[in-house]
Amino acid sequence: MRAAGMSGPFTVVALAIGAATSVVAQEPEPQTREAAIEQAQAERVKDLHPYVPGKMEALLNRAEDILVNGVPSWHPDFTSAYYGGGFTLGAGYAHHVSPYSMIDVRGSYTVLGYKRFEAEFTSPRLFHRRGALSLVGGWREATQAAFYGIGMDTSTGNRTNFDFQQPYGSGTLTLRPTRRLLMLRGGLELSRWSQRHGEGRFPSVEAVYTPATLPGLGTATTYVHSQGTVGFDWRTSPGYSRRGGFYGITLHDYTDPDEKFGFRQLDYEVVQHFPILREAWVISLRGEAQTSYTKSNQQIPFFLLPYVGSGSTLRGFISHRFRDQNRLLLQAEWRIMVNRFVDTAVFYDAGKVTARRADLDFNGLKSDYGFGVRFHGPFLTPLRVEVAKGPEGARLVFATQPIF
Amino acid sequence: MLTSSFASHARRASRAILVITALAMCARGVATERPHFYPDDPIAREGESQDASNAQPYRMGSMYEMANNLFVTAGYKPSGTRARNINTIDEVPDSSWFTNRIGSTRVTVEDLVRGPNRGGPPDPSRWVVFREKTSGAHPGFTAKDAKGETWFLEFDPPYYPEAATAAVEIATKIFWAFGYNQVESFLTTFDPKRVEFDPNATIRRPSGARTKFTRDDLSAVLETVARSADGTYRVIAGRLIPGKILGGFLYDGTRSDDPNDIVPHEHRRELRALRVFGAWTNLTDLKASNTLDTLVMENGRTIVKHYLQDVGSTFGMCNELYEWDLSYEHFYQADTTRRRLFSFGFALSPWQTVDYVEYPSIGKFEGDVFDPRKWRPQTPTTAYLEMRDDDAFWAARRVAAFTDELISAAVHTGQFSDPAAEKYLADVLVKRRDKIIRTYLTAVNPVVNPRFDANGRLTFENAAFAAGVPDDPATYRAAWFRFDNATGETQPVSETQSATTTIDAPRGLPTASGSFAAVDISVDSPGHPTWRRPVRMYFRRGASGWTLVGLERLPENRA
Repeated sequence: MRAAGMSGPFTVVALAIGAATSVVAQEPEPQTREAAIEQAQAERVKDLHPYVPGKMEALLNRAEDILVNGVPSWHPDFTSAYYGGGFTLGAGYAHHVSPYSMIDVRGSYTVLGYKRFEAEFTSPRLFHRRGALSLVGGWREATQAAFYGIGMDTSTGNRTNFDFQQPYGSGTLTLRPTRRLLMLRGGLELSRWSQRHGEGRFPSVEAVYTPATLPGLGTATTYVHSQGTVGFDWRTSPGYSRRGGFYGITLHDYTDPDEKFGFRQLDYEVVQHFPILREAWVISLRGEAQTSYTKSNQQIPFFLLPYVGSGSTLRGFISHRFRDQNRLLLQAEWRIMVNRFVDTAVFYDAGKVTARRADLDFNGLKSDYGFGVRFHGPFLTPLRVEVAKGPEGARLVFATQPIF
Repeated sequence: MLTSSFASHARRASRAILVITALAMCARGVATERPHFYPDDPIAREGESQDASNAQPYRMGSMYEMANNLFVTAGYKPSGTRARNINTIDEVPDSSWFTNRIGSTRVTVEDLVRGPNRGGPPDPSRWVVFREKTSGAHPGFTAKDAKGETWFLEFDPPYYPEAATAAVEIATKIFWAFGYNQVESFLTTFDPKRVEFDPNATIRRPSGARTKFTRDDLSAVLETVARSADGTYRVIAGRLIPGKILGGFLYDGTRSDDPNDIVPHEHRRELRALRVFGAWTNLTDLKASNTLDTLVMENGRTIVKHYLQDVGSTFGMCNELYEWDLSYEHFYQADTTRRRLFSFGFALSPWQTVDYVEYPSIGKFEGDVFDPRKWRPQTPTTAYLEMRDDDAFWAARRVAAFTDELISAAVHTGQFSDPAAEKYLADVLVKRRDKIIRTYLTAVNPVVNPRFDANGRLTFENAAFAAGVPDDPATYRAAWFRFDNATGETQPVSETQSATTTIDAPRGLPTASGSFAAVDISVDSPGHPTWRRPVRMYFRRGASGWTLVGLERLPENRA
């Protein structure tokens, strides 16, 4: 013999009634299934209460409000004052001043004592969604920025340190006349670079160089920096993309009212993503060249020379490892989609700096390779962790932006 | 809804099982006081006896729900518990969640084409926009038509003209036929020249403020959607659901403010069955914000009514064009993550190689590689994980009830401009239906529709064979019992067998009115070893013969 197993259907109802019977002796035994259900529902009336979200739910609801609806207030800030400052921690407070425009006041501090304080006003929806304006004012200091000498034939033993302080104010207007593809950007910045005695365990730069051997040493220069960009951008987002590309040229003009350190610079940048196997793999390529043009009888200060070596250029080299008047940077990545939120990448970087534009060729490139993990959303890469190996050793990169 | 936190959410189901177990032990002591079958079994409706007017609106955040489903729910171990809202004959009674339609009653082509629509279509000669659209993957508005009725308008993305709107239209008909509460939806047009703005129309800005809805806001949406050659836009218009909106329902737990919600949602068969219905139609976006609870007055009582509000993520519709992994993987899966991580992507996933015949008006939807058991929604739900083979069998019978004619009729409501696309979609649905039949109607003993006449002849059907599974030789064996409804004890009587779906009962069964008999039917059929597990049926003797009062296809716990 076996007992029938029909307690399954509406078991919760039936069992609840059983339990209730033992507690509330007055409850009559239901005579029908419908009565049993009604009794269970009546029992439940005693325990009704509104939904109460848990702490984690409330936290993620807040995060969603910030990320999706764009209503941030306090937020972390991991942007360093200058490359090479080490781990950076900071905070900011953003406040909307109109339905779309906001002011963000933020500051950061690095383990090497680099400091940055700035306020930014952004208005992302101008000219019927064809324009975006950014106004920034701030001050930063890098206390022990690295300088290894000019050119590619320097060694890590040549390292010196310098400090600079820079108050700055700028305005940048980005236009997308067709709302897609074509991008025009113009900007104007007024800043003052004060190069000072470097801190840290390496000699300060003035202990090795003189103003005659190193342009800009010990100077305080005011710049009016104007720039203009023409670009074609069909990536899904600059913050994260698996397809599309960006092709752009930017012209910079640095005007020194004292006519000592004025110069011009042209940046050429090409980014192209080639999706393979339905975007499970992406071959991503970036080529960038910077060429500098001195103005008559003026020089480029050493701290504004193009460089390679950093978490976004030659990743296997110390920040600002090589500086000179022109730069060539070539980067290739094989990106592998691990899941919707994580990519890995095997990468190879090559680059160099040169004194003459004619030397921007493929000879004498310094290179590195490495492996990285990127945590991303559909449009952003909030964390990039990479290990890069170059001839001068291995380096660990933490960044809060995509490489390109 | 249950009180929830990220951690407690994960423990909820196991706690519920413990409670149920404890209650079961309490109940055992009084078991003899209650019959196994009540006089009104099997019930046809799960009633709502209590007033629910105090239920309060709440909307769970998408980020929390996604994180919880991907990283907590995904680790949930199915309890193996039999569905809790089924009646004693293994069917789902009508309720505020579900109404038996296809598979239970005859659904004609006319019924299907009309679907949930009871009122007339919108009058698109004028639209008065008054609010943005806040849910769904594709852009839209909330607007009033020329007759002043409120509609939710949704457009097609430019890369899939017709597809998103057709998906909503077709899926609404199909899910209505399955039995779910659906929004009345109509395909219509939106002419920007005939648009006005309500003086009080507002839109939520990034600052959080609601400010005046402008023509530029309209343009911002229209620039991102598919436009017809005549400058108008094809839209799907969803009628405003009656009642007070309470937000979506969850796929586990119960609403803590609804007295009538007594069955944990993960144990509701119609919610578990969405794993099968979802696989057939490729309904990948199973989340709370695509559902809706409303407070309505029915039969003089305020109750909560539950809708599958947005079934537009069907037939390959997705959030963007390049979501190749949709329906093959959850947004995050530990196993595929490990495989791709350690193989550097050389271990290919099926979605990387499947061939799609892509029409501009149809998304990534195919039937050749489709495997119902391997189908995956964007995120798992507890109800999805709790589905057992008897739930899937129940669902597959409803899928099987969609004839080729009904499928063609449903697809035709999508109003595709390309007949080839319409035919392709219907053909794929037929292929996927047949795979679901072969997968789930054969997974358990498929004996259905038993009838035990007064002359002692038991007839039934083999649902698998009836649905077109190759008709292998089968021997049907019946083990007969007397059944004591008060104690639940059975006494064996005899065994009989037949090569057909008709078996004669032996002598010795009770004959008195009100007595009970039980019979276990097992099937010996080559290639179907699972059919040997018997289906147990219970019959009550009445004045005019036997009535089916119980059916158990799989035992109570089958983890």
